[in-house]
Amino acid sequence: MPSRRRTLLKVIILGDSGVGKTSLMNQYVNKKFSNQYKATIGADFLTKEVQFEDRLFTLQIWDTAGQERFQSLGVAFYRGADCCVLVYDVNSMKSFENLNNWREEFLIQANPSDPENFPFVVIGNKIDIDGGNSRVVSEKKARAWCASKGNIPYYETSAKEGINVEEAFQCIAKNALKSGEEEELYLPDTIDVGNSNQQRATGCEC
Amino acid sequence: MSSSQFDESVVRETDVEVEAPVESGSDVAWERTGSEHEIDQPSSPSSSGYAGEGGSTSATSASSLIEIQRDEIEEQMRIHIDEISISDSNASWIPGKRHQDEDDASISWRKRKKHFFILSNSGKPIYSRYGDEHKLAGFSATLQAIISFVENGGDSVKLVRAGKHQVVFLVKGPIYLVCISSTEEPYESLKGQLELIYGQMLVILTRSVNKCFEKNPKFDMTPLLGGTDTIFSSLIHSFSWNPATFLHAYTCLPLSYATRQAAGAVLQDIADSGVLFATLMCRHKVISLVGAQKASLHPDDMLLLANFVMSSESFRTSESFSPVCLPRYNPSAFLYAYIHYFDADTYLMLLTTNSDAFYHLKDCRIRIEMVLLKSNVLSEVQRSLLDGGMHVEDLPPIPHSGPSHLGQHIPPSDSPERFKEANHDTGGPAGLWHFIYRSIYLDQYVSSEFSSSISTRQQQKRLYRAYQKLFASMHDKGIGPHKTQFRRDENYVLLCWVTQDFELYAAFDPLADKALAIKTCNRVCQWIKDVENEIFLLGASPFSW
Repeated sequence: MPSRRRTLLKVIILGDSGVGKTSLMNQYVNKKFSNQYKATIGADFLTKEVQFEDRLFTLQIWDTAGQERFQSLGVAFYRGADCCVLVYDVNSMKSFENLNNWREEFLIQANPSDPENFPFVVIGNKIDIDGGNSRVVSEKKARAWCASKGNIPYYETSAKEGINVEEAFQCIAKNALKSGEEEELYLPDTIDVGNSNQQRATGCEC
Repeated sequence: MSSSQFDESVVRETDVEVEAPVESGSDVAWERTGSEHEIDQPSSPSSSGYAGEGGSTSATSASSLIEIQRDEIEEQMRIHIDEISISDSNASWIPGKRHQDEDDASISWRKRKKHFFILSNSGKPIYSRYGDEHKLAGFSATLQAIISFVENGGDSVKLVRAGKHQVVFLVKGPIYLVCISSTEEPYESLKGQLELIYGQMLVILTRSVNKCFEKNPKFDMTPLLGGTDTIFSSLIHSFSWNPATFLHAYTCLPLSYATRQAAGAVLQDIADSGVLFATLMCRHKVISLVGAQKASLHPDDMLLLANFVMSSESFRTSESFSPVCLPRYNPSAFLYAYIHYFDADTYLMLLTTNSDAFYHLKDCRIRIEMVLLKSNVLSEVQRSLLDGGMHVEDLPPIPHSGPSHLGQHIPPSDSPERFKEANHDTGGPAGLWHFIYRSIYLDQYVSSEFSSSISTRQQQKRLYRAYQKLFASMHDKGIGPHKTQFRRDENYVLLCWVTQDFELYAAFDPLADKALAIKTCNRVCQWIKDVENEIFLLGASPFSW
């Protein structure tokens, strides 16, 4: 427990399998990229320290598995998230169309206190492929969807080339931080002995 | 105290007798079980209790996660950790967090023999014994994922075994506690330690933190616990030297009956003026304690409260008034503690429900201090600290004449028994090295001083671990409870005797004669009965529950 106040932000990365969630995270945290596809099992966890406006904080990144068979893990994984990142592949229409499902699934499972304003960030990945010639989702279309969902910030990235990854995560951190700023009221009680039905929760166990 | 005699014939018929081959580093092998009517399930105890108990669950993700290489540094690690281990409270152990720079990628971190973690149910780290909590955020998330994964299936994970590591989980509402240990301590002991860590957190914050998580699962608890590192590290340290952590009993500083009475009387005076509990302590030992009507103080609460006070340096420098929660008394709310040190070792704690009571309690303290000085209680306390408690070398022979007192050395005797005992050049008669006696009725225990055969901290820590294991096996729900146990391995002979009134744990020279050891245990019990006025707090109503 540090005496200096530091903030820890929990970031969940969601999206169809193979869109590059793990690659994005690896590029961001380790500055590395591998062409080899290795499906994530359950979830991977990475930590990254970030400086933002003279404050140091830690991103706890939950890289989840895209396969449907892992979706039952939802509630457990999404609980207490500060930001949710939705990733799709600009070369796959299906992965874009599924963003809506991922977003709704997240809101149902995580059940945040203010779903309207919960911070999402959308990332269109793999813009490097084929020099952009195989692209099927236009930036305009993606931005329109983001605008319709409460102006979700939108980034286009290449995890392979490291394009825009840093910028996207800066935005993720900023938004997560904003949502974590609410002051928490911790109001402990004092025992009132005068009260006759004073409870002794654990009672006499001996 | 029971008048029953502990004799060899009884032991033969009913006890669990264990002789382990002299082979270092191996698990104690149970060779033989002498069992009859008193042991409910005479099945071989070699399943060591926890294996089949409590639904151990193994998660594949976990075992790969805890793939810890266990060679290289291990040895030097052990030496290092033992160096900072046993000591009576504040003796050479420096409180505070160690190895802050480590994280789960550090080999040194992975080699640590015992980790403790607190995290929230969203996977945010709250406390880690070693390493930086924020750097361990990924590891913390993994722990949450394991717990939540099992929870999702409508089950709960209690224990994962991975090689020689045990991973013990404890879920307390939105708070998760995890211990990862390669110390071979029983599951029940490790779980008990997690319970105490949770209790210590409640002492500082009460259960009100749960409400914060209910309102906002993102809630980050670490700021609320700012500056409390030393409290947790000192508690964890006490798991290796303070028997109260597994006996769930407290211990008194040995004092003459009159001295303790004098202290008790003045505490009683002020307890009648709106003080809920008044305790006078010397380090972790009780000098006297008084509770308002119907209010009772659980030994675990005393342990956690004393640890809270002793590990917070600021209490030593000035009189203080602090909110504290006693988890066994009421986990949901704060009491207020007035704390004042009379000298480096002796301190007074006055607990009240009234947050405005500081000046009243200060007045009470001044009155108490005057009486304590006048009746020489404080100087008697210092003298007791110097003399120590029960020395096994002083064990009186049976039969004896007249009442005996602590510190009264036995004149040399020519009895044949005495002659036999002379074979052992260290420790007490029959090779007695150490004992712990726990009075069930009083919720108190007394532990003898260590004989010269158990003089190093490493040896003392090992003995406590052995007692702890013995305690767990005696109270094991699966194969116990047992009444007696005799156990011989390369380090000691351990004898345990449990009756309705007391539990006796004794350690002897590994070559000690069994019949003599049993006789000696009877003498210890008689000795304790003779001096109970000095070693226990008697007639203290707050404890008779």
